[in-house]
Amino acid sequence: MQTATERELRLRVAAGGLARFLPLLGQGVRVTGASGASAEQFIRRELAIAADYLNERIQTVFLDGKAIDDLGAAEVGDGSTLALSAAMPGLAGAVLRRGGAYAAMRRQISHEGRGAAAGGGTVRVRVKLFNLVARELGPDLLTRGVWVSAADLRGFLDRLGAGLGSICRAAQWQGRPVACRAAAGRLPAEGWVLLRITED
Amino acid sequence: MDKILRINMGAAGGPKAKTEAVGAYAGLGGRALTSSLVAKEVPPTCHPLGEENKLVIAPGLLSGSAAAMSGRISVGCKSPLTGGIKEANAGGQPSQMIGRLGYAAIVLEGKPADDTLYRVFISKEKVEITPDPGLKMLGNYAVVEKMKAAYGDKVACISIGQAGEMKLSGASIAFTDMEQRPTRHAGRGGVGAVMGAKGVKVIVVDDSGCPVRAPQNPEAFKEANKAWVAGLRKHAVTGQGLPAYGTNVLTNVINEAGAYPTKNFMWGRFDTCAKISGEAQAELENARGGAGSATHGCHRGCVIRCSGTFYDKDGHYLTKQPEYETVWAHGGNCGIDDIDAIAMLDRLDDDFGLDTIEMGATIGVAMEAGVIQFGDAQGAINLVKEVGKGTPLGRILGSGAAVTGRCFGVERVPVVKGQSMPAYDPRGVQGIGVTYATSTQGADHTAGYAVTANILGVGGKVDALKPEGQIELSRNLQIATTAIDSTGMCLFIAFAILDQPETFQALLDLINGFTGAKMTGDDVTTLGKNILKLERDFNLKAGFTRQMDRLPDYFKREKLPPHNVTFMVKDAELDQVYNW
Repeated sequence: MQTATERELRLRVAAGGLARFLPLLGQGVRVTGASGASAEQFIRRELAIAADYLNERIQTVFLDGKAIDDLGAAEVGDGSTLALSAAMPGLAGAVLRRGGAYAAMRRQISHEGRGAAAGGGTVRVRVKLFNLVARELGPDLLTRGVWVSAADLRGFLDRLGAGLGSICRAAQWQGRPVACRAAAGRLPAEGWVLLRITED
Repeated sequence: MDKILRINMGAAGGPKAKTEAVGAYAGLGGRALTSSLVAKEVPPTCHPLGEENKLVIAPGLLSGSAAAMSGRISVGCKSPLTGGIKEANAGGQPSQMIGRLGYAAIVLEGKPADDTLYRVFISKEKVEITPDPGLKMLGNYAVVEKMKAAYGDKVACISIGQAGEMKLSGASIAFTDMEQRPTRHAGRGGVGAVMGAKGVKVIVVDDSGCPVRAPQNPEAFKEANKAWVAGLRKHAVTGQGLPAYGTNVLTNVINEAGAYPTKNFMWGRFDTCAKISGEAQAELENARGGAGSATHGCHRGCVIRCSGTFYDKDGHYLTKQPEYETVWAHGGNCGIDDIDAIAMLDRLDDDFGLDTIEMGATIGVAMEAGVIQFGDAQGAINLVKEVGKGTPLGRILGSGAAVTGRCFGVERVPVVKGQSMPAYDPRGVQGIGVTYATSTQGADHTAGYAVTANILGVGGKVDALKPEGQIELSRNLQIATTAIDSTGMCLFIAFAILDQPETFQALLDLINGFTGAKMTGDDVTTLGKNILKLERDFNLKAGFTRQMDRLPDYFKREKLPPHNVTFMVKDAELDQVYNW
């Protein structure tokens, strides 16, 4: 089994450069947690998100693509995808909002909610952070390190292209220095990679 | 705004302008005025491109005043795309300027005797209608440049591109923004074709010497405006989300919900949508920099500033920040995930004067027909250029998705009443499907957009979890939206109103402070109902039946991945929307 260091990419970027990586969080990061947790417990415990922030800022939550109205009633299972968004504009934003006045309009894609199963094991969950949630929570997450899909990261770095060269000051793959522009080429074809980014 | 400017393009001896008192339309603005006038003066069975149709351009009730967010402008007529009544609206500078000139509406009537193309100049002193053959088959950008050279950089323009001149049903009308660019469009329903049929290429508006419209109660108005702006600025959507990301912030969220129509409504998710999300777009725009890059207003007095300016990779201006609907229509709906290509398509649409939703949906249908492959960005650009050139293929495409579907034998054509659906699959968000089906306007997300319905108390409080709630909610939303459209306020104010009762009160105080009226929430609701009824009656007289209040059959039959849902609202339920 590989250690975290063996799959770790560290980037040091210029001041303001970290923001360029925030859209990556919309594609999802892998978070491991205890099984049997509700969406609310998972968000609070594993993502260390404060109750006030959850209640006030995170207005729309999807579990496996279904809009959740009751965070306490939806169980996060192994392989689930959990997506967090701030309030969104327009009718669609209102409709998808949890517990909103227009929830009936998307009944067919609402999460029905299940009671949390017994704990004991661990679950690996893909967590997506969108819009203001990514902007506000993303910098800390990226600095601490997040597990991202190697394919997503490679595609993302490729899209940054020359832009990466202008913001990246230094890169390390598996603990050894690599040229910033060569970093994408070092990533494995599949699996997950631990990405840590520090900003000057 | 106590007068209406009527321009009879078919008058004996050439076009004639006359100004008359606002009369029976007093106190109306925006959609309330356009729909009232069309319902009263246009024969419902007339040909949309014929002399009996009228094109009504009406600023909002508060346009031209200092009220924030009051710069929307409505365009009304009988639609060549739907065959029913149409109201399409836009931002930009002309609304405020027409308001300050004192016009409640500009009405183009009649039809010129030949194919002479005219420009119209409107100022405090005069109205000039001049033949201008030099404008023939120019794009909107070139037209505006010519007008700028002739009249200076303080005027605003309302113009059509090649599509409007060719009277194509996907044609829009362009309104210039703060930078005098033709980027704000009354897009839906083919209103540009009606302007083309009137022989008017451009209306130049010059409000020099016209003061800002004065409120009846200056103190109350000033206080209300302050509270109104504060309310908009403090809300997470209007104060943070929209300014940071624009409307394209919806891409990731709608995609996650599985309601993002992909490859001509075949799937509910687009695998590579992250590349064209609002988050990615904003970061790219911020990185490229330039004036007004990721956050910019579409008119003076906008405090939300959900727009932006898109510069190409070399830093040259290309277009305004493409909106969510555009990014979806030309992006996910066509399998295209290249934001620069989508921005180019937006630029071409704006220049030729085309509705981006209709064009994106049309190209999606053409892709399904095999004209080009899904994901072929350059192919899509070439198809839009065909429209601009007016080739036979281009004319078919410019006439919209329904016509294109018929010409190429495609069943999966996402239209209602001939108008393409916007960026929310009705199988995922079925309540929006109810609005698509039953709106007087054809498939239109903004027809039921005003999430203020519950605040307004339209139809009482609806239980959101009640199964039949979708019908009541859609009805109430359509009523509330019609009312907001009539004020000329941007619909994006809705969230702040929904969440902050004091901000809704500030809006009422603002209207009352300006007009001197004592409008209540109930009055707003009554106005919305009355206008919707007028529109519905017009459509019935034009030959619409309840069978036209339906989604295409395949939405009831084809399951939409990933949730594998079909549209389940029954026809009998749809027929209840207008029973109030």
